[in-house]
Amino acid sequence: MSRLAPWAVAAALALAPLALMDLHTWVTLTVAGLAMGMLIFLVAAGLTLIFGLMDVLNFAHGALFSWGAYAGFTALVLLNRAWAWAETPSLAVTVALLALAAAVAMAVGAALGVVVERVIVRPVYGQHLFQILITLGATIVLEELLRIVWGPNDQVMPVPLALQGSWEILDVIVLRFPVIAIGVGLLVYGAMQLLLARTRVGLIVRAGVENGEMVQVLGHDVLRYFTGVFAAGSALAALGGVMWGMFSQSVRPTMGAEQLIFAFIVVIIGGLGSVTGSLLGALVVGLSYNHVAFLLPKAAIGVNMALMVVILLIRPTGLFGGAR
Amino acid sequence: MPDALLELEDVHADIGRHHVLQGVSLVVRRDRVTVLLGRNGAGKTTTMRTIVGLVPPAGGVIRYDGQPIGGRRPHEIVRRGIGYVPEGQGIFATLTVDENLRVAMHDPAAGAARLPAVLDLFPDLARLRAARAGALSGGQKQMLAIARALVNDNRLLLVDEPSKGLAPIVVDHLVAALAAMKARVTVLLVEQNFAMAQALGDDFYLIDDGRTVARGAMSDLARDEALKRRYLGV
Amino acid sequence: MAPASGTGEDLTPVQRAREEARRRRWRQPAPWARLAVLLALALVPHVVPSFQVMDLALKIALFGALVASYDVLIGYTGIVSFGHAMFFGLGAYAAALSVSRLGAPTWGHLGLGVAVAVVGTAALAFLIGTFSLRVKAIYFAMITLAFAEFALILAVQLSGLTGGEDGITPRLPGGLGRLGTYYAVLAVCATLFGLLARFVASPLGRTLQAIRDNPLRAEALGYRTFVYQSIATAVASMVAAVLGAAWVLWVRYVNPDSTLGIHIMLDILLMVIIGGIGTLDGAVIGAAVLLTAQAVLPQLRAVGAALFPGSDLAQRLTDRWLLYFGVLFILVVFFFPRGVMGTLRRPPRP
Repeated sequence: MSRLAPWAVAAALALAPLALMDLHTWVTLTVAGLAMGMLIFLVAAGLTLIFGLMDVLNFAHGALFSWGAYAGFTALVLLNRAWAWAETPSLAVTVALLALAAAVAMAVGAALGVVVERVIVRPVYGQHLFQILITLGATIVLEELLRIVWGPNDQVMPVPLALQGSWEILDVIVLRFPVIAIGVGLLVYGAMQLLLARTRVGLIVRAGVENGEMVQVLGHDVLRYFTGVFAAGSALAALGGVMWGMFSQSVRPTMGAEQLIFAFIVVIIGGLGSVTGSLLGALVVGLSYNHVAFLLPKAAIGVNMALMVVILLIRPTGLFGGAR
Repeated sequence: MPDALLELEDVHADIGRHHVLQGVSLVVRRDRVTVLLGRNGAGKTTTMRTIVGLVPPAGGVIRYDGQPIGGRRPHEIVRRGIGYVPEGQGIFATLTVDENLRVAMHDPAAGAARLPAVLDLFPDLARLRAARAGALSGGQKQMLAIARALVNDNRLLLVDEPSKGLAPIVVDHLVAALAAMKARVTVLLVEQNFAMAQALGDDFYLIDDGRTVARGAMSDLARDEALKRRYLGV
Repeated sequence: MAPASGTGEDLTPVQRAREEARRRRWRQPAPWARLAVLLALALVPHVVPSFQVMDLALKIALFGALVASYDVLIGYTGIVSFGHAMFFGLGAYAAALSVSRLGAPTWGHLGLGVAVAVVGTAALAFLIGTFSLRVKAIYFAMITLAFAEFALILAVQLSGLTGGEDGITPRLPGGLGRLGTYYAVLAVCATLFGLLARFVASPLGRTLQAIRDNPLRAEALGYRTFVYQSIATAVASMVAAVLGAAWVLWVRYVNPDSTLGIHIMLDILLMVIIGGIGTLDGAVIGAAVLLTAQAVLPQLRAVGAALFPGSDLAQRLTDRWLLYFGVLFILVVFFFPRGVMGTLRRPPRP
């Protein structure tokens, strides 16, 4: 199976619904689907890299997503209180302050990630069952702490004025925020690929994903890279969280757990350890969910499951899964 | 022993519940090629892995250049100047030849400076620098694995079964390459191919059931038919 | 071949060992301990007639058997699955639906429902099992998780059939009363647990353990591992389904959260860890410890209010007893990975 085949199939799947709906609807759904896909990609990318390099099943990833969302939420609320920036029509100012909130979220995510890796995950390297259990336990603890600090109810996430509403492109109305989400996703993907392909750290991480033992024996302290990748993955999850919060205009303690199942499906579809696989998987999942939700609402969740099952039957290691 | 670069004294090691090494002792002298011989499953590879820190020693002493290294982590051990060429080469198939070499460098600048000399030894690799390592032939992969060990200023090379799975003509090329290195680096070699062992080795140690059972000069072993038949089946 | 019984010289070593084990069975502590536990549970309604205690005791029995069936899967066969709660829920829903949607609530209908659940579960388990041949263990675990989530969503979405989020509160066939129901459910749990114990001790069970410890070797010895694993999966899930039906009999309602939710699966996991994976008896211990803790921990709120009246922080901290549950979870995995029974049977080497 050539490396292009999965992309071709995905494109076909994306275009197929055109037969069942008009162009305007298709564009709206496709944009929404790509945006949702990009946000899931942010979560999945970290997850797949963590598994690829460290062989760790990180079920606490969803909690980091939630913490990122809440950290970003607090930052945005405080900024709004100080400068009422949500009302600013200026796109430039909005984007700058958004970047600040995202940075806060990512910093919190990375810091929590380091703590989780050192305290929770490191003692159980190599034992998958215990990793699953202990990261689940960590999720419970983190979610409960979230409820203690911010309260258990849903909260409204302030979305800046400049990002609400829509643009009109070629007579089609396209919502603004999803487009921005797609942009952020592509940026992150590009940055990740660049880091992995062009830097020494990226080189060692790629080598480690293939053979962690060999990397050690070539003189590198793998444990430090583990912590780094875990922190980076957590930061990405946190970014996904704050963006998802704005996408759905609310934050709640269970948001991470809800998205984590999507992320796992994406990681399985894309292949453990492959960032590109996660991207493709996420886009396919996002697109199929939105298209199917429009055509047959009740079948939406089922379609992702079915997709995962079908793909695993054809390629048991996922679309771009390696020899692991 | 003053000219001993690597010393193992009564080393024990476990893999899971198996007590694989039950008292391995050996001395690798500087600027010589020491060969580790023995049947399949005798514990030769485990000995290598224990030296390099992938398996924690359960007993005994391991000394490199006079310093004890047992119990340290692999990256600390190899940075003292040990190049490890494992069984099966350990090549990163998804990386290019050049990237494989770069991953091995402890210090990128120093490594880059040494690279031309290393590639001189393996002209094939110089030609294939941008190729995906997974697409290389068996012999080329083995060359790459050895080249990786030379990219740093390593004084000891641990080479595990380099001829495994290679065609005889490629093995000859390998022997020539290793012989060329003899002058500047100390080698501990595990090899089942007795002809190759004989061609390269100065000293030998025979391992059986996780223990050292015989030792001596390679030239002596070549003449000892009884020993060879008993432990090597040749 | 030597005959199965007869003079000592005719028996093979394996057969001799089995004879020995059979004769020694009643001299070992395990069967007596199990009987003692069963007796204790049976006496609860007479010793402590409080409904809460009876409820706790019966839940211990139900979960004890459920976790034991999970232990067969994870401890004896070595298959990590997150779908076990799904089979439990399937049985529960089948029972509830069969007595509420087929007309009058009769024992016949209930029996039909249970039968359908058992067959359906076995088929579903077998189907999911066919995946395990093709994909690696981690993928399989996540697939089962996805299936379980899917089942949950299905239960909520097909509200016409399942009552959605609210679930079903069926009118159960009459005639038993609370005490009768208690003993009926207890009997079901005890029988199923006994079945599992026999299964695990049988030659089939031993083969499973061999497969768990060294699948390559088992294959080399000629055992078709897939067949055995499928049988074990089917047995474990069928037991879970029947227990689901028994659950409905006692609790008298079923909804997605209480039977299919992720925290049922988490509870099962925690119980099997606390009790000890691969010990079967540990399941009951794990169930007893966790369920008692869950009954007691919410009282923490009252304790907090009593000790620090008026403190908002104290109230917040004690309100979220789940937090301490999570911490307990982590501590158990760290310090007690072999569980109670595991540590008792094989004390860690110094």
